[in-house]
Amino acid sequence: MTVAAEPHPWHVPPRWVLLVAVLSIVCAEVGGASMARFKVELTRWARDAMLARPAVHGLVGVRDVDERILDEALVKFDAGLRLFHMHAEGMGLVIIATTMVAATVARAGAARRVIIALLTTGGAGYPVGYLVWSALIPAYGLEQAKTIAEWLVWIPFGSATIVALWWLTGLIAVRMLRP
Amino acid sequence: MTPGLRALAITIHSALATAILAVTITPAAAHHVGAYVPKDNAVTINFKQVKFSVQARKFDVALRLFEAGALRAEMRAHAATLPAGLEDETRAALATSDGPEVERRLMIFFAALARDLALEADRRLAETGGTAESRAATGRKFLEAIWRYYNLVDFAVATRDNKTSVAVRLAFDEAETYVKPATGATAPADPARLRPPLQRIAQVLSTLIEASSTQARRNS
Repeated sequence: MTVAAEPHPWHVPPRWVLLVAVLSIVCAEVGGASMARFKVELTRWARDAMLARPAVHGLVGVRDVDERILDEALVKFDAGLRLFHMHAEGMGLVIIATTMVAATVARAGAARRVIIALLTTGGAGYPVGYLVWSALIPAYGLEQAKTIAEWLVWIPFGSATIVALWWLTGLIAVRMLRP
Repeated sequence: MTPGLRALAITIHSALATAILAVTITPAAAHHVGAYVPKDNAVTINFKQVKFSVQARKFDVALRLFEAGALRAEMRAHAATLPAGLEDETRAALATSDGPEVERRLMIFFAALARDLALEADRRLAETGGTAESRAATGRKFLEAIWRYYNLVDFAVATRDNKTSVAVRLAFDEAETYVKPATGATAPADPARLRPPLQRIAQVLSTLIEASSTQARRNS
């Protein structure tokens, strides 16, 4: 009995890409575990930091008003940590899947290297934005922290991933038109 | 590659390049950061526990929840601005299984909390200093806090004095329009105009508290 060779075997992405993807997943797991283990300490730290900066958070010194502001900020602080955990886990897998497609579909050369680099850096960097956002909330307030995280992390790394994915889609479309 | 295929490939590449530029900006700026749903605080939770126990005619449970809960502690903390004897009268109404009277006392309590917040908001807005945006933000937060308490007893208010309920709602709606952040064609927030509706809320609720307290005393 003979086994027919596969016409288009999948290519494994470079090792450094796999290492980054696995590290991203490891960070997600460590982050998730730490979030659960140190929940009380983290909440206490964030609350104290916010109370130390009443002007930043718009605290007015009336408990009935301030408790809602603090609660929202603490909920978002916690959400940032959760979203980091979730995105870092997911993006690790996305990096592996998309770079594998790129390594298989794109011809060897600069284009393939750039697509893989964009997918890896974008995918690994984007979730860090949630960690940055969360960490900055107590010091800068919800909106200011979001703006910093957006311009520092989400927009550059998110754009890198989106550009690379569209580029890859284009390459696949071209390959389909002229196999 | 035939000229036709080459032209097609160029067209696809051009379309993709345009699409990439167009789509990267929008999704990159719209990150999922979760949604916040305001939670009840200890006072509103205890109020709901007592209210539902009374509705179920479990007055012993309601009395126990009232005596051990945040509602009573808050009544004591605000004793200076509440009608005299409100806490004792609420407990007495619970002990005698008088549901409508319990509702009336709790209505007075939350109306007083909302009135005190309206007065405090008016006082803060009268202070000079700060930008219009920051003062509008302060006004907005006070309005949220006022509504959180008033909303709990609005039905009880409306069933006893519909005009008061409508007056508070109208004043609240008016106040909200002055603190909304500017978006597109809407005018920017105007915190200076927020004071009259806040004063109206405080005045209408003061009248309600006075009238309800007098009526409650007369009935007892």
